[in-house]
Amino acid sequence: MNKRILTLVRNFSAPRKLVWEAWTQSEHIAKWWGPMGMKTRVVDLDFKEGGNWKYIMTAPNGSEFPAHGVFTEIIELEKIVSSADFEPVTHGVIITALFEDLDDKTKLTFSVTHPTEEYCSKQEKMGVMNGWGANFDGLENYLSQLP
Amino acid sequence: MRRDVFQAIADPTRREIINLVADKPLNLNTVAQQFSISRPAISKHIKILVECGLIEINQLGRERFCKARTEQLAQVSDWIENFRHLWEARLDSFEEYLTQIQNKGNDDGKQRNE
Repeated sequence: MNKRILTLVRNFSAPRKLVWEAWTQSEHIAKWWGPMGMKTRVVDLDFKEGGNWKYIMTAPNGSEFPAHGVFTEIIELEKIVSSADFEPVTHGVIITALFEDLDDKTKLTFSVTHPTEEYCSKQEKMGVMNGWGANFDGLENYLSQLP
Repeated sequence: MRRDVFQAIADPTRREIINLVADKPLNLNTVAQQFSISRPAISKHIKILVECGLIEINQLGRERFCKARTEQLAQVSDWIENFRHLWEARLDSFEEYLTQIQNKGNDDGKQRNE
């Protein structure tokens, strides 16, 4: 297993055009980027190769988790590659999204490539403790408040 | 009660305890002195960390030492797995949103049988 690459595959019951639009347009992104209904604002989205994007997710405890990057490759309705930094702990990853038709569904293959093994192990110590750990606090608290 | 790594790190005090003993074992008094909360509260956190397998307590003479189980720690801090956790949740959210906008579209127009 390549520890550097995280890959997730999902099939969505929606036409590819709609999936693409929901994935790439700011008014849509603001609605789903934050898991569990966490608020997200899209502060920057220049959807073209070389264009910047920046989304800020706010955890229920008020802490903010900005993510930003630059689109490096866009093939309309098929493929998006982007660099990405997820503050405060994850920098220099490459995220790739591939969109394919699967009967009347749309298959999304999403992957995150982390720079190097060394980088990963360097991140290990601080990663969970400082960044995502705090993030999960927010998530868990939020989940426990749901009816 | 759930006892796993996520529960272990879900609390900021427990994360601090792990950080404290990550580099070298410390005796329980030293650990407790780092916090302003009560000794019993610290003991409770340490108990949970032991149950989650993240630290172990060793008796050395009259002192009890708190040691991080680094192999477990590696599992906790397998940040790619945490990243997966987040992205799974985000894709769930994306899927829900897709369903939502499609239903909305249907409501606006003619109802479609699903």
